[in-house]
Amino acid sequence: MNKFTRSLIGAAFVALAATPAFAETPKDSLVMAWQFDDIISLDPAEIFEVSGAEYGAQVYDRLIGIDLKDTSKIVPAVAESWTVSEDGKTYTFKIRDGVKFHSGNPLTAEDAAFSLQRAVKLNKSPAFILTQFGFTKDNVDQKIKAADARTLVMETDQAYAPTFVLNCLTADVASVVDAKLLKQNEKDGDFGYSWLKTNSAGSGAFKLRQWKANESLTLDANPAYWQGAPEMKRVILRHIAEPATQRLLLEKGDVDVARNLKPEQLDALRSSKDVRIVEAPKGTLWYISLNQKNPILAKPEVRQAFRYLVDYDAMGRTIMNGIATIHQSFLPKGFLGSLDDKPFKYDPAKARELLTAAGYPDGFTVTMDVRNVTPWTDLAQTIQASAAAAGVKIELLPMDGKQALTKYRSRNQDIYIGQWGADYQDPHTNAETFASNPDNADNGPSKTLAWRNSWDIPELTQKTKAAVVERDADKRVEIYHELQKVVMTDSPFVVMFQQVEVPVERASVKGLIWGPSFDNNLYRLASKK
Amino acid sequence: MTAREWLLSDTPQSRSQARMGRLYGGWLTFTGNRLAMVGLGIVVALMLMALLAPLIATHHPFAQDLANRLQPPSAANWFGTDQYGRDIWSRVVYGSRLTLYIVLLVALTAPVAGLLIGTISGYLGGWTDIVLMRITDVFLAFPKLILALAFVSALGPGIENAVIAIAITSWPPYARIARAETMTIRNSDFISAVRLQGASPTRIILGHVIPLCTSSLIVRVTLDMAGIILTAAGLGFLGLGAQPPLPEWGAMISTGRQYLLDQWWVATLPGIAIFVVSLGFNLLGDGLRDVLDPKN
Repeated sequence: MNKFTRSLIGAAFVALAATPAFAETPKDSLVMAWQFDDIISLDPAEIFEVSGAEYGAQVYDRLIGIDLKDTSKIVPAVAESWTVSEDGKTYTFKIRDGVKFHSGNPLTAEDAAFSLQRAVKLNKSPAFILTQFGFTKDNVDQKIKAADARTLVMETDQAYAPTFVLNCLTADVASVVDAKLLKQNEKDGDFGYSWLKTNSAGSGAFKLRQWKANESLTLDANPAYWQGAPEMKRVILRHIAEPATQRLLLEKGDVDVARNLKPEQLDALRSSKDVRIVEAPKGTLWYISLNQKNPILAKPEVRQAFRYLVDYDAMGRTIMNGIATIHQSFLPKGFLGSLDDKPFKYDPAKARELLTAAGYPDGFTVTMDVRNVTPWTDLAQTIQASAAAAGVKIELLPMDGKQALTKYRSRNQDIYIGQWGADYQDPHTNAETFASNPDNADNGPSKTLAWRNSWDIPELTQKTKAAVVERDADKRVEIYHELQKVVMTDSPFVVMFQQVEVPVERASVKGLIWGPSFDNNLYRLASKK
Repeated sequence: MTAREWLLSDTPQSRSQARMGRLYGGWLTFTGNRLAMVGLGIVVALMLMALLAPLIATHHPFAQDLANRLQPPSAANWFGTDQYGRDIWSRVVYGSRLTLYIVLLVALTAPVAGLLIGTISGYLGGWTDIVLMRITDVFLAFPKLILALAFVSALGPGIENAVIAIAITSWPPYARIARAETMTIRNSDFISAVRLQGASPTRIILGHVIPLCTSSLIVRVTLDMAGIILTAAGLGFLGLGAQPPLPEWGAMISTGRQYLLDQWWVATLPGIAIFVVSLGFNLLGDGLRDVLDPKN
């Protein structure tokens, strides 16, 4: 055999080996690669994480929802209609007939009342969304009740803007749970909490089959769903931390959707015919926050200096390219009153001036808790390097999403780098968490982001409260502008980016809905060719 | 008489001449082994690289340049750049310091601990021996990396803790070797002679047993260096060793694997560095064994 033939045969072998072996996913199942190491609980009264919220949206129904085409509109869900009383305090919901839970129990107004009461009484992280209307453990049984099997009546402590109240009821925490089933699984008066953490009791398009933390989340279709059975018999979410692995799985057909690809991988996939890149702008913000319990970070000059230590432009052009846009106010674009100012640029000299004024001409050392997946780690390392230019030495502490969040919620961090997703489509959702902290005590009742960073702001808290009861829309916008300006220039928060979610689907997948927030991403209508 | 003849003389005139002669003989055996010389060359190069890192590196290892990220190897960046636009060549060069630091610290702690435990256990025998050897058994019962992982998780990630964890997990084999050697030496006549002169066990162990155990231990340590480097890189890879932005080779591979499909150099070049250095230590250890192993 001469040299030429030999190399030809060699080339043939290489070509054969390179032909991808397709491991197709089952026709009736949707398989998704996603990072969901942040899920702490599957109980809708406790879910307060980005990934958990999306799970809640598949398994539970809420009374009302938002119109995904026009987020300022409220649409019926299990409540087919509703009325607000003259004095603006009493809300009456008419519950749809014929909706059934996965267990077969009919969904009634009693279930809806029980769900809201339960969330208030359990008082987990998201409970404030309901308790801000004056509900407490003791009065909620009177304030929210079922008048009859089809009528739910809710009474707030004062007249709020009705859209605000209704928007709050579109949040995950207002999901309707199966009261009968939970009562069967109740232990020591916990309203079935310890059971529901890892089980489901909903009426949604899917029911939970199995959750293995940081591994997989499997959902089965609910054939009796009132809006029609999903075409997919099963949805399997796989926790794949590595974007590179997600891309490989997607290209090989082992998954139908990859959720966490990086900009450079998206570039490589843009020309592929097998996959489709979807862009869904989200109301989710990337920010870093400085815990005010740390005496160094509590100095106003230091807080300001941090605004000049983030290289927004360079990150936006590279590691966040296509998956986020630069945004520096706490209201995401698309929300009422959102401010589009971007006054800050990377400027280490200016930061050093501010640090010198604060008494740290040579900088200082702090730690930063980082969720151990991209792009968190990329953002953190870039900030570490850009902050080092002004002498601020940041030690990164990489950890599980769950671990970082738990630490953050008990206020034990120095610097936290995180994502904040709006809970509902009203500016108050972010105003409340970024600009109000009613009680800064360690056991404070309202665990807003301001509280988590120990930022004591009685005046801003009052202003935030005033914005909710302001019925003149223009004046309301004005208050939100003012709040955003304060938080932007002098707060523990450095808001950096607004997320654009970029899921990549195989070309055969149709019908997945990527909404304006994670609890509006829906798998119900998905189908495969 | 040339220096060579003086060294190789069959009838040395003094103790020091005999000792020098033996060393020179060993050196001759060693240089005769070409592979061992390659190993020595690699290890010396590694040391020089660590020592002269600021002169050899073309960039600062932490200097980011996001506009210039993920560039392939070129004249400006010999090994290309990583996901933050840092120069990989400079990071590999500075990474050699970390590698050496880990290797040296482990080599100074684990064998010393192993030697002490092994010789005490072997010389004293009885209950001491049983207790010490069962503790050794417990440590040997775990896979090295898994045990190191457990220790680092308990101590918290970081390079010092990685060193401690590796040292804790790597002393048992040394203890075993030292004990076996001690058992053969313990009953020899010269030890009995020392004992009859009234020497205490401490004196016998420190002055007579330990020196005789060291040569086989040195061979073993050199051969283990590659393993230590790999364990350290493994911990770095899993995010439990050196923390960002330190240019530890294992950690560099770990972040680089996200880019392996399109930017192969980010993970591959630090990988080659680990490979070359491990190979160097293995070859060196092999050559040293030929020289030092008393059984040859």
